[in-house]
Amino acid sequence: MTCQELQEMFELYALGVLEPAEKGEIEAHLARGCENCSQALASALALNAGVFTIAPPMKPSRRLKRRLLTSVGVHYPGWGWVWALGAACLLLVAAWLGIEERRRTYELADARRALLESNGERDRLTQALQFLSDPQTRPASFGRGQTAPPRGYVFLHPQMGVLLIASNLPAAPAGKTYEMWVIPKGGAPQPAGLFQSDGMRALHILSGPVDVAAIGTVAVTIEPAAGSSAPTMPIVIAAPIGT
Amino acid sequence: MLLLKLLPAGLAFAILQVALRLADDADLVRRLKAREPRAMNDLYDRYGRLAYSLICRIVRNPSTAEDLVQETFLRVWNRVQSFDAERGALGAWVLTVARNRAIDHLRSVDGRMEAGAIELDHLERPGLFAKLDSAALAMDRVRRLKSAFEKLTPAQRQVIELAYYEGMSQTEMAERLKQPLGTVKTWTRSALKILRDELAEVAIA
Repeated sequence: MTCQELQEMFELYALGVLEPAEKGEIEAHLARGCENCSQALASALALNAGVFTIAPPMKPSRRLKRRLLTSVGVHYPGWGWVWALGAACLLLVAAWLGIEERRRTYELADARRALLESNGERDRLTQALQFLSDPQTRPASFGRGQTAPPRGYVFLHPQMGVLLIASNLPAAPAGKTYEMWVIPKGGAPQPAGLFQSDGMRALHILSGPVDVAAIGTVAVTIEPAAGSSAPTMPIVIAAPIGT
Repeated sequence: MLLLKLLPAGLAFAILQVALRLADDADLVRRLKAREPRAMNDLYDRYGRLAYSLICRIVRNPSTAEDLVQETFLRVWNRVQSFDAERGALGAWVLTVARNRAIDHLRSVDGRMEAGAIELDHLERPGLFAKLDSAALAMDRVRRLKSAFEKLTPAQRQVIELAYYEGMSQTEMAERLKQPLGTVKTWTRSALKILRDELAEVAIA
């Protein structure tokens, strides 16, 4: 075949679709170094490449690029940073929600504690009112005429017990508490419960029947937080119970 | 630059565009050879979509096409050291590798693999693309080719598609189309001549 005839088949040769005989002839010709045919082959390759671009345009998925770059060891950021940022935001929100939840739990516990204390205080006041309104209650005062407070009243009731109301009573020192004592006439002081002052006032009740006639004095001392079995001097309050 | 000043603005712009693209491709080949991490990213950005469209047209399966695109770019990555950065047409080479990977796949499915695979491998070696006009994929050429392709008769277009997109020899086409081999050869020869002449006009212009 002539160069012209061979060149008409170069596109098909470059596509690898020629019959073996034709292909063999072209290769033998090119091997002889025909410059014209070598240039014509380049043109055929260029034409083929141009025809390849006529294929209808399609769009590959995003992950193809990531897959390809990963396969040659190139880190591909893609949209990973968005996910990372999203995850970081979610973590922050979760942490904030956790902190808020904990704060709310503490606030609820505080509120519950305050409510319980408030209920306890209300019960004590109700009990104190019952003391004061009952005709069997016998009052006694203390602190009158003293230069230093505290001052106040002790109320005794044969069934309800002993009520102590003190004013100007400072808060007990740190780690200490006030302890009330019931001192029978001619007898040893009996512990009658621990209480605290709010810095100004204190109200304490010893509930249960008492022998009013046998009580000589109701006293208060400052004791360790767990209380004592015998009073520690000095006596802060001493309310003598008259006959 | 003086020459550019003397040319009409449109033509000067077109020449400048082609020159910039060629410079880009030469630089990209150098960076691929140097194994720069961003080079593969840029190669894919430039030719990934064209390669995928071509392979999709041939295998008609997006998932298989993605596998074959990956195979194409890995092959280019592994063989780029033999590619002439200054003279070769990078885009034409990438598309030829892409087309051959897809045809290899079709042939393996059809059971016509063995000899064909070696043959296609031989026809995509980087040295073959050294003498190509670097502007093989210039916009103007592609536009002219597309227009010429639309002018082909249905029979001419069919044989071109069977050769380019199905990798069929003329004997196989004759069997598929139930036409004499001579007729198929005439259709093919005339179709290629139309396409060739269209590109020749671009070159002359």
